[in-house]
Amino acid sequence: MTDPIRDEWYPVAMVSQLHREDRDTLLLGEAIHVTLRDGQPMVTASSRVLPSQARYGHVWTSLGAPARPLFDIPEADQPGRRLVDVGLVRVKCSPLRAVENFLDIAHFPFVHTDILGAEPHTEVGRYDVAIRDEVDEVWATKVQFYQPQAAKSAAGGITTEYMYRVPAPTVSVLYKTCPPRPDEWDVITLFVQPLTETLCEVWPWMALFDDTTSLTDLIHFQQTIFLQDRSILENQQPSLLPLDPGLEIPTRADLTSVAYRRWLKRRGYSYGAQLVAA
Amino acid sequence: MILYDYVLSPDCYKVRLLASLVGARLDLRAVDFHPGGEHRSAPFLRINPAGTIPILQDGDLLLTESAAILTYVAASHGPDWLGDDTPVMRGRVAQWLAFGHRLSASIGKARTHDMLQKPADIDACRKAGVAALRELEAALVEARLRGEAFLAGNRPTLADIACFPHAMLAPDGGISTDPYPTIRLWTRSLRALPRFIEMPGIHRLHELKPEPTGSSQ
Amino acid sequence: MSAAWTPVALSRDLPRLGVMPVCVDGMDVALWRSASGRVAAWADRCPHRGMRLSHGFVRGEALSCIYHGWSYGAEGHCLRIPAHPDLAPPDAIRVPVFHATEADGVVWVAPQAPDAMPPTIEGSALRSLTVEAAVDWDAVAFSVSGPVARGTLSGVAVTILVQPLPNGRYALHALTEATASPSVLTEVSRGLEALRRQAEGVFA
Repeated sequence: MTDPIRDEWYPVAMVSQLHREDRDTLLLGEAIHVTLRDGQPMVTASSRVLPSQARYGHVWTSLGAPARPLFDIPEADQPGRRLVDVGLVRVKCSPLRAVENFLDIAHFPFVHTDILGAEPHTEVGRYDVAIRDEVDEVWATKVQFYQPQAAKSAAGGITTEYMYRVPAPTVSVLYKTCPPRPDEWDVITLFVQPLTETLCEVWPWMALFDDTTSLTDLIHFQQTIFLQDRSILENQQPSLLPLDPGLEIPTRADLTSVAYRRWLKRRGYSYGAQLVAA
Repeated sequence: MILYDYVLSPDCYKVRLLASLVGARLDLRAVDFHPGGEHRSAPFLRINPAGTIPILQDGDLLLTESAAILTYVAASHGPDWLGDDTPVMRGRVAQWLAFGHRLSASIGKARTHDMLQKPADIDACRKAGVAALRELEAALVEARLRGEAFLAGNRPTLADIACFPHAMLAPDGGISTDPYPTIRLWTRSLRALPRFIEMPGIHRLHELKPEPTGSSQ
Repeated sequence: MSAAWTPVALSRDLPRLGVMPVCVDGMDVALWRSASGRVAAWADRCPHRGMRLSHGFVRGEALSCIYHGWSYGAEGHCLRIPAHPDLAPPDAIRVPVFHATEADGVVWVAPQAPDAMPPTIEGSALRSLTVEAAVDWDAVAFSVSGPVARGTLSGVAVTILVQPLPNGRYALHALTEATASPSVLTEVSRGLEALRRQAEGVFA
C-alpha cells in the first residue's frame, strides 16, 4: 500500500548546520529528530529510524517507504558551480502555496520591484507547460521576462529566460539565464519542509556559475527575494492551496500553477491542499 | 563609511535608510548572520565583542549601537535629521532612539524567532511588542493633537527612523499592525519620502508611480 | 449577513489613496479611498490568488492587488491584468462589494443595504483604538444606545462608536466635543488608554 504523502522525500535540515547541533523539528505534523552519526545523517521519529540521505546540502527523509529515489539535479555535480545553502526561512502558509509562488513570474514587478521585475514590463508571454509522464514531473519552458537586476552578478536589465521544474510535491527547481555563462543555466531551488498543512520551513539552495560575488552576497540576494514573498504567502486566503477550480481565477500566465495543481491532484497529494472549493 | 550589514536586519536597514535619505554613501560589508552565524565568529568578535550588527566603521571610529550609528550618520551627512532645534525636540529624539531598543528586544526578537527560528520567549516578546506599538500609536495621536506629523516635531528625524522598521515588520513576528491607524498614516508618510528605500517585508508604495499607459509595451 | 451599519474607521485615518483592513460581521474587509475621495469597502481577498487586497495600492479610482497588480474599479470589477496588458478582463472577475458610507467623520460599512442611514454623531474625531475585552460601560458611567456609547472623560463629552471584532475584541472610535483644546484632548486620549487597561484587567 503506497501513501502519496508519507512516501515522499522531504528536506528536514541543512547538513552543514548538523555539525553544530542536532535538530528537533516536525514533518507532516510528526516530531522528528535529525542528527549526524559517523558523518551520516540519521533521522528518527519516536524510536523509529527513518530512511535518510544527504544530498544538495540538505538531509532528506521520509515517514513512509519511498518507492522512488530522490529526484536528480545533475547540475549539482557539475564542476565549476558554487553550491549555496541559503538557510531556513519559516513561513506560516501551506507548503504548496510556497512552491506555487516560486513557479510564478507575474508577481515580479510588484513584489520584487526593481530587482526581478518592474513596471511597465509586466507582460507574461506565452510559454510551454507540460506534465512529463516519463519522469512524472511538471515542466515549464521558454519562460521569458524582463528583469531590471537579474542576479547579483547582473548589472542592468536583461530579458531573462527561465525553466521551472517540479520534481516532487514540495520542491521546485528553477533554471535561469546565467549571465557569465550564456550556454549554461543557473540553478535555484526551493526545498520545502511541510511542518504542518499551514506551516512550512523553506530551504532555498543554489548551484551557480559566479566567481565574482561573495558567498554572503549570494545568500543575501536570495534571502531578499524570498523574504519579499513571505509577507504575500502569509496573507493568502484560504491558507490551503485550492486544487479544484472555482475558488481562484487563473490566466494564461498561471499555466504552470494550473499544471502543478492538476499534477498534485492526480498524484493524490492533498497535504496542504483544499480539494473542494469552499 | 563601512557598514557591516545584514539585509534582513531592521537595525541595519535603519542605517541604510538614513544614508539613502541624506545621500551618504555606505560601503556595505555583508555579514552572514543567517545561516552562517558569522556575527559570532572569532574574526567578527574582534571587531565587535558583543557579536551584534550593525557596525559602522569610519576611519578610526567604530560604532556598534544603532542609535549611535544613526546619530553619527546624521551629524556628518544630514544634520537636520538630528532634530536638535530645541531642547524639547532633542529630548524627544533621544526618547525614541532609546525606545527603538525596546522594539528590537520585543518585535525584533519575535520576528527572528518566527522567521529564522532563533530562540526567544515568543509569548513575552509578542506581549511586549503589542505594548510598544500601543505606546507608539498613542504618541503619534498626541503628536497629531499638537499639529505635528512625526515623533519629534513637524519633520522626520532620527526618532522616526529608529522606530519605523519594527513598526512595519511586526507581522513578520506574528504581531498584527491592523489596530494602529495612526501608525499606518505615519509609516505611509515616511515611505513616501524622496529617496526612501525598502527592505524585504516593506513593499514599494506603487501608488507613487502612475499606472503604465497604453495597452502594450 | 447583516443589514446594519458597523462603524469601521474615522474618516481622518483613511486618506486619499489609502487602504486599510477592517472587520465587519466577522468578515475581512479592505477599506479604501480613491483619488477623488470616494470610500469603498470590499471583501479583503483578490479573486486571482486570494491575496488580501488591504495590502494593495490605490491609483486613481482603482484598487490594485500587491501580488500581481490586478486592479479593480468602483463596482469591484477587474479593470486590468498587468500580465496580459492587451486583455480585457472578463466581467465575471469581481470582488464582492459592501455598502460603505461616510458621515460626521466616521466610515460605516454594511454587508447588505440597510434601510436607514447610520445614526447622526456629533463631535470631532479623536482616535480609534482596539480593546482585547468588552468594556463595562456602566462602570465608567457611559450610556449605550446601539453601537454608540456616550459619557465624559477628563471633563469632556465623548462619543464612542463600538465595533465588534472576532475573538471578543472591540474597536472603539472616539469623538469629542469640538471645542476642546489639544492639551485637554491629550488627556482624553490617555483616558481612553486607561479605559482599555481597565477593560483588559491590567492595572499598572
